[in-house]
Amino acid sequence: MPDRARLVVGVDIGNSTTEACLAAVAPDRTVSYLGTDLTRTTGVKGTPDNTDGVLTAVRGALRRAGRAAAELDAVLLNEATPVISGLAMETITETIITESTMIGHNPATPGGQGLGVGTTVSLTELDEIDPGPPVVCVVPHGWDFEDIASTVNAAVGRGVDVVAAVLAGDDAVLVANRLTRPVPVVDEVAAVEKVPLGMLAAVEVAAAGYTIRTLSNTYGLATVFGLDPDQTRHVSPVARALTGNRSAVVVRTPSGDVTDRRIPVGTLELRGSGKTLRVDLATGAEEIMDAVARAQPLEDAHGEPGTHVGGMLAQVRDTMADVVGQDGEEAGSPVEIAINDVLAVDTFVPAEVRGGLAGEMHLENAVALAAMVSTSRSRMRSVAERVAEELGVATLIGGVEGKMAVRGALTTPGVDRPVAVLDLGGGSTDAAELDREGRDTAVHVAGAGELVTKLIDSELALDDREVAENIKRSPLAKVESFFHVRHEDGTVQFFDEPLPSHVFARVVTLAPEGPTPIPTRHGLDHVRQIRREAKRRVFVVNAVRALRQVAAGGNLRTLDFVVLLGGSALDFEIPEMIADALAGYGIVCGTGNVLGTEGPRNAVASGLVAAHAAAAP
Amino acid sequence: MTHSDPGSRPAVVVHVRPGAPERVLREICAGAEEEGVPTRVVTVPGRSAGEQDGSMRSTGEHDVTALAHAAAASSRLDVGIAVDAVGAAAVHHGKLPAQRPVTTVETDATVADWRRVGRTAARIVKGLPLS
Repeated sequence: MPDRARLVVGVDIGNSTTEACLAAVAPDRTVSYLGTDLTRTTGVKGTPDNTDGVLTAVRGALRRAGRAAAELDAVLLNEATPVISGLAMETITETIITESTMIGHNPATPGGQGLGVGTTVSLTELDEIDPGPPVVCVVPHGWDFEDIASTVNAAVGRGVDVVAAVLAGDDAVLVANRLTRPVPVVDEVAAVEKVPLGMLAAVEVAAAGYTIRTLSNTYGLATVFGLDPDQTRHVSPVARALTGNRSAVVVRTPSGDVTDRRIPVGTLELRGSGKTLRVDLATGAEEIMDAVARAQPLEDAHGEPGTHVGGMLAQVRDTMADVVGQDGEEAGSPVEIAINDVLAVDTFVPAEVRGGLAGEMHLENAVALAAMVSTSRSRMRSVAERVAEELGVATLIGGVEGKMAVRGALTTPGVDRPVAVLDLGGGSTDAAELDREGRDTAVHVAGAGELVTKLIDSELALDDREVAENIKRSPLAKVESFFHVRHEDGTVQFFDEPLPSHVFARVVTLAPEGPTPIPTRHGLDHVRQIRREAKRRVFVVNAVRALRQVAAGGNLRTLDFVVLLGGSALDFEIPEMIADALAGYGIVCGTGNVLGTEGPRNAVASGLVAAHAAAAP
Repeated sequence: MTHSDPGSRPAVVVHVRPGAPERVLREICAGAEEEGVPTRVVTVPGRSAGEQDGSMRSTGEHDVTALAHAAAASSRLDVGIAVDAVGAAAVHHGKLPAQRPVTTVETDATVADWRRVGRTAARIVKGLPLS
């Protein structure tokens, strides 16, 4: 037994950060923690590139504690098996308009109000037609609003029954204000030249604050166009697509149609617990997750080649093969690369309607999939060798990170065994449990912060990862004047300096450098709901899924304390969402405070030290 | 703050210098009208740029910005537009610092730009995003 305190440093190499915890272990095994440090992980976790990050973190912790590397007795590394995650999305429905039957877009300012039904006639031919059945005037690009109004007024003066107008430019209110006989006017129809002429059309504009009522009602369409029951069945998607609009145009062409097509997206093959299950991706997240549950523990998964999911699964596998396969010194043992978990989430993607005339958008159903691959091979030994060489200190591989994290989490004030941790990371959500007798289990499940970002990005059609990341990280606010914003909780904040005009009246995220506008027409409540739903569908679902796998008998009621760790445990709302979901099982849940000072950070590094001290000779 | 015509209905006030191009004014007013916000055009005689107070700062952009701020100050909606004799324009809000207009356009602007000037002014009134 040593007669003096030994100086050891635990180092946790994570996917994004490398953390160190320096401590002195007394001869009686009591641990005094001396300092911690945190730096970016260098290279892919579990590969020799990590060495630089490890050295930075170790030196940082030594410096903070005022100790020298020469005093170190041991460096303890986690058993970091590389875990790589991938994300893919398959759109499973598609709305197609054939022969231009519908213009369902929502110009900001339509003109007039009411419903007009008539035959489409170009404005250029309006002065040639004779009074007769009602007509809908279609105005090509390049016409001035005064000329449009005077041409229509002249025709109406001759007795032509003009009942509505469809314009290319943003002029509907200007034209409507100048008509001698008011009619509904819809504008901003970009592809107005594709509107078929000589066909029966209906134009509807609702009063301010209302949405259209006739064209969004299947029987309304049937009435307007005189449809039989069979034809009515066909136009029902048109009515649904127009629901919620303030204005719409529907042109009835002989073979025109709107179809709601399901895109064949292939199948997912899951192998596990002695069976191989095939599930059609188009059936949605619930069926897929059912299949995943039946194949537990999942041994491998394959997607159909040629689909996004097939491509994503293959790519995750290839990346892992690259990471673990190119190191000659460790060749020999067969490399086992398998997809260990899959998370499917139902989502929707706003997509431009194919065949639309005014850039109409429709929400298409989609399935987002996160997959995770881990490997039996770890290259931590070569990291350990390099660290030992650089520092001249014995370097040991301490233990599996999940199991170490539980021991670190136990240093959180108020926590006792049995304890489970949830490590909410970027690519995967990890759980581990330590029971009263000291037995431990650990699992990784696919899907975490990056999937949340992706869902926010696609559901708001942002196509900008950084904006989506901002939405995920901070509460929203609405800029209400040049001098004040209203936060999403209703509180108001004033600014001394006027806010820039590009954020005026916008929904923004409040970053330290100022408000950043979210490029969307949606209101704050909608954006907030998408953000919270994305977090719930990933983190709350995964928290329950992962804890079930570590809880005795899969029963969450056997758990007492759950400690949240990892970057997303610092999120402003995820911890409370998980705590709410777990409260029903009688679980005490909260964000960890490792060593009473480190918050949800440093659990694995501290745990390595604790485990080392407990096992010391 | 004084309202030039307190009895009139609320409107975006447009101050124009004599000789301001008619087509510029027409499109600006159309931009506001399309948004459903009324405008009131007031012609403001101005000394020619150079003699205003002798300094270089009082010419061009500075003049149209100051004019827009004055228009905003006289608007019951706190929003004003100015068009100078050569067709440059600015949008201003009465509560903003005088030298910080919401937007300005140069003399070489297009019909779409002038429409946008009117639309921007209207949207400040309506509390809608400006672009």
